[in-house]
Amino acid sequence: MAAEDATSRDTGAHAFEEIDWDRIDARGGRSVDGWAITEAAILVGLLAGFVYDYSAGTPTELIGLDPTAVEWLFSIVLVLGTFHVAVPLAENPRLTARYWRTFRKNRVAVGSLGFLLSILALGVVGPMIWVPPNETIDFATAYRPPVFAGGSWAHALGTDAQGRHLWHLIVYGMRVSMEVGLVSTAIAISIGTVVGATAAHVGGYVDEGLMRYVDLQQTFPVFVLLLFLVYLFGPSLLFIVVLYGFFGWEGIGRLVRSETLQRTEAVYVRAAEAAGAGRWWIVRRHLIPNVSGTVITAATLAIPTFILGEAALAFLGFSDPAVFSWGRTIAAGRSDLASAPWISTIPGVFLFLTVLAFNFVGDALRDAMDPR
Amino acid sequence: MGMKWYVVRRVAWALVATWIAVSLTFGLLVASPTPGADAAAAQAAAQGLDPEQARDRYLSQRGLDRPITEQYVEYMTDVLTLEWGYSVSQEETVIEALSEGWVNSAQYFIPAVLISVLLGWSIGLYSALNQYTLTDYLGSLVAYFGISIPNFWFAIVLILIVGVWFRDASLLGVSLAPLSLRTFYDASYPVFSVANAKQLILPVVVLSTASLAGQMRYSRAQALEYARAPFVKTARAKGASSWRVLTRHVLRVALVPLSTILIVDVLAVLFAGSFIIEAIFQIPGLGRLALEAILVKDTPLVLAVTLIPVFIAIVGNLLQDLAYVVLDPRIDYGDR
Repeated sequence: MAAEDATSRDTGAHAFEEIDWDRIDARGGRSVDGWAITEAAILVGLLAGFVYDYSAGTPTELIGLDPTAVEWLFSIVLVLGTFHVAVPLAENPRLTARYWRTFRKNRVAVGSLGFLLSILALGVVGPMIWVPPNETIDFATAYRPPVFAGGSWAHALGTDAQGRHLWHLIVYGMRVSMEVGLVSTAIAISIGTVVGATAAHVGGYVDEGLMRYVDLQQTFPVFVLLLFLVYLFGPSLLFIVVLYGFFGWEGIGRLVRSETLQRTEAVYVRAAEAAGAGRWWIVRRHLIPNVSGTVITAATLAIPTFILGEAALAFLGFSDPAVFSWGRTIAAGRSDLASAPWISTIPGVFLFLTVLAFNFVGDALRDAMDPR
Repeated sequence: MGMKWYVVRRVAWALVATWIAVSLTFGLLVASPTPGADAAAAQAAAQGLDPEQARDRYLSQRGLDRPITEQYVEYMTDVLTLEWGYSVSQEETVIEALSEGWVNSAQYFIPAVLISVLLGWSIGLYSALNQYTLTDYLGSLVAYFGISIPNFWFAIVLILIVGVWFRDASLLGVSLAPLSLRTFYDASYPVFSVANAKQLILPVVVLSTASLAGQMRYSRAQALEYARAPFVKTARAKGASSWRVLTRHVLRVALVPLSTILIVDVLAVLFAGSFIIEAIFQIPGLGRLALEAILVKDTPLVLAVTLIPVFIAIVGNLLQDLAYVVLDPRIDYGDR
């Protein structure tokens, strides 16, 4: 929207006859298509890699990495996030600056954002720097305390019962938590937005049916349902991530529906209608972009519940043993609570701070984007 | 006409929701690989018998090789007539196992609900009427803490502090040992005894923290909407005391929206929490029954402990919607 503003301002200085519409069209067209093409190319590349990885039957190694299904999804979500959040923000500096001015007032939220970005960066890059926790198994150095409790810098955060470095467990746990939080939320946003926008725009029996389903899903205790499904189909991180996405969208769906209904009466929608725009064009180009702020805020507040849920499942033992979830590490340290309290407590501090930071950022985003 | 019609439709919808929920569990059971049969096959293989034969025997014993429609009808009648089968892991019928377990769950669950609602609403309303004071900020801080702290980790930290450190620690020469609480549940105490109350302190604190914070935030937000309303200003101008404004004017209108989040939120948070609480503090309640059943693949018991929270949630929602109609005369129930 700010791009349009900028265009109209630029042209406003000229006399009407002087406008070179071909030049403007070409410029606007190129900048939009350029990003879209880059994004599509990267996504096609990722999908091709994903298909190649799983079509052979046995997972194959790719340039020295062996991504799991969740890691493929995670990279797709990271690409989508870059092109649909970071790029639009960079392209609309005036809008970004306005949000930032409001957001910056909340110092705690700025600190939280920095913390989350570093957790995300460590979660993405960290496993390439530090070896997997199981390669640090060394029973000779089991139960070494962390540095601040009289340990040595060789095991900065201490070691667990098998001598695994706690720092490695925590870095790998960052990736797990970020995967759960971001992939589940991406799924929930997609379903919630489509369902909400459809319900609001089609109306009638479709609206009634969809909203009744949302009611039903909201009634269901998701955690109990998850336990039941994990019991039936076995624990895997992919399963947990996908289930949280598919059973966690009702809040976003409701929100999109009510916001869309409110905005259907807005002047710009009337203007688009008058200009002959179709129903779905209006939904796609005018309504969804305008509710995206609300959706992002709701999503930021949904992420911590998914992260906490996965950690709780892992804590109860319903997770893949090959996945180094923080919940799993915390559970493992329970038996040594009196003699080696750091095994349970340090990963918990990271989990707590991550969830807290998401809550702070989510609330600050709401204040910045939705001044009501 | 309108209200009665709404109530009838709402009750009918609750029945439909129950039917959908039960059918869903049936569908999932049919679609999934049967864990019990797998266990039987694995056991047979370990004993050197034919696993396929053991699997077939397991399936035919439970009537799982019959046509789907027949199984479905029987499943639905069994669920509705409370014929919930026999639990292998508990060596008694599912109904018996549940009736023994629920007391142990209720004795920490009910105090947790009461504390989170009463304390949460009091703090929330108080901070709304004293917005931007130190108490308000302190309240917000507690709320952030409550919704963000992973309850299983909170329980472990409390066990570490209260159960481990307090035993040997002393403050200003006074030993903290008397403050040290039991960290593992002892089922031999009678339900209404001091020892039992003492050992339930930690579970109740851990369980109520998250929902307490949720209730606090929500009640504060609701009360803020009315704190500057004309009728509150009028009441103040007439010289009503803060307490009267709070209870007679703000709370009365705020109660309606507050009661709507009560059931869904409190139940969702507490159900998930009770599994963790019972696992950590080793309370032999419904949550632990569920976990044991899942570990040993005891399908009838898993089904029961899955369906019970769903039933409670459906009934809770029904009651809440009906209460809404009674409490709030503005509700338009004509078109729903």
